[in-house]
Amino acid sequence: MSIFKRLYQYRELLKTSIKKDIGGKYKNSFLGVIWSFINPLLQICVYAIVFPLIMRNNIENYTVFMVCGLIPWTYFASVINRSANVMIENGNIIKKVYFPREILPISLVTSETITFLISTVIIIGFVLITGVGISTLILFYPLLLLAQYIILIGISLIVSCVTVYFRDLQHFIGVFLQLLFYGTPIVYSIDTIPERFRWILNINPMTHIIEGYRDIFYYQQMPNMKSIFVIIAIGILVVLIGYAIFNKLQKRFAEEL
Amino acid sequence: MQGKENRIIVEHVYKTFNVYLDKANSIKEKLLFWKRNRKETREVLKDINLTIKNGEAVALIGVNGSGKSTLLKLMTKIIYPNKGKIVTNGKLTSLLELGAGFHPDFSGRENIYFNASIFGLTRKEIDKRLDQIIEFSELGSYIDNPVRTYSSGMYMRLAFSVAINVDAEILLVDEILSVGDQHFQEKCINKMKELKKEGKTMVFVTHSLESARELCDRAVWLNKGIIQMDGDTNEVIDEYIKQTT
Repeated sequence: MSIFKRLYQYRELLKTSIKKDIGGKYKNSFLGVIWSFINPLLQICVYAIVFPLIMRNNIENYTVFMVCGLIPWTYFASVINRSANVMIENGNIIKKVYFPREILPISLVTSETITFLISTVIIIGFVLITGVGISTLILFYPLLLLAQYIILIGISLIVSCVTVYFRDLQHFIGVFLQLLFYGTPIVYSIDTIPERFRWILNINPMTHIIEGYRDIFYYQQMPNMKSIFVIIAIGILVVLIGYAIFNKLQKRFAEEL
Repeated sequence: MQGKENRIIVEHVYKTFNVYLDKANSIKEKLLFWKRNRKETREVLKDINLTIKNGEAVALIGVNGSGKSTLLKLMTKIIYPNKGKIVTNGKLTSLLELGAGFHPDFSGRENIYFNASIFGLTRKEIDKRLDQIIEFSELGSYIDNPVRTYSSGMYMRLAFSVAINVDAEILLVDEILSVGDQHFQEKCINKMKELKKEGKTMVFVTHSLESARELCDRAVWLNKGIIQMDGDTNEVIDEYIKQTT
């Protein structure tokens, strides 16, 4: 309970660091916030050209199919990548002032969530342009976002504090994310994977989250509610474990940084 | 009734630091040079017991490396003791190093918000204190310029003004009374005296024995991690001077 009280007391810090994070990202660049559109759009262009060439598929509207997976994946990957650095980046403040350290990962995840909300416009743009259209199923979008947010908070808590002690983890994470990119049905569809390997996809929570986004934007069918709630339950568990680890490790942050 | 309240209780506190003589930072180094990972444990504080009551102004004195700053950091919860327990009651502000969290590209005014929010203030509370902070800093119209254009004196003045106006019940101050010019220093000391009169609890780490005499009614002399002497400021300082010179 005390954690919520503490976070509430420091809500202004949470707010200012989210604002600084979003505002500071493009502060000195000429195109500013437009970059949060250009970046994913360029990536989409590359993937939309490359993957149909090297992997034959008969997916209708392949670009939309891929965009529905790629945008949530970018959100997921950039949270984890940045979590590995967040404590080291803020080492100076950590060593000098007391404040609830969990503010750092929480504000990081939240600001990335806002960036994701903005880039959802890209998904919507694609479904409109290609004529796939939008249905009322979009109402499930907040639920999927919530599931992803919870699980990311948990992962971010763990990654951010463990990297303080094992700096190598930063490099492992880069490789691991690259591997996981292909272990998640982003550029291909699940049914192209042989039956005996599908369990790999099934134990990956991002598979279910991306399938959920795809259901509501691309297939326009009811998302699998059971798997969404399983993801939320797992997410809560990860947050609890993550917080326990974080609480233990954060005590020596100032000495290790 | 309030006057008898204990603000800071330090019970049997031990603190050791691991000093890596040649630290293996990565797994590769750890595997290749596992022998190299020599470390020394240095006992900085040994069985410290200290109770600070509400409204007391305490000076922590001692030579370099005696553990004063470590004790102060333990009180702020930046670091934690290996053994023992530290309890603090009330809102606490530490002036360990000024200007923590200042962002050079943002204006003085924006940095007031950011810095004060690190101390746990809400937007409304900062709004209320904003004029007071700007006035105290004497920055005038410079307040809307980016902090990177400030001189070091202006920077310190702004940082000090934020920290002093947080309205904490406990103030922990580490060697920062040398802020700015003569005029601003006097202003700071006067502000400290004012806060003391208001009944705030203060702990100073200082080498300036004169300002300790002026501000504090109790002094604690730390020597090699233990409390050598604890009592009236003048008595402790006289004894300290006698033994160290």
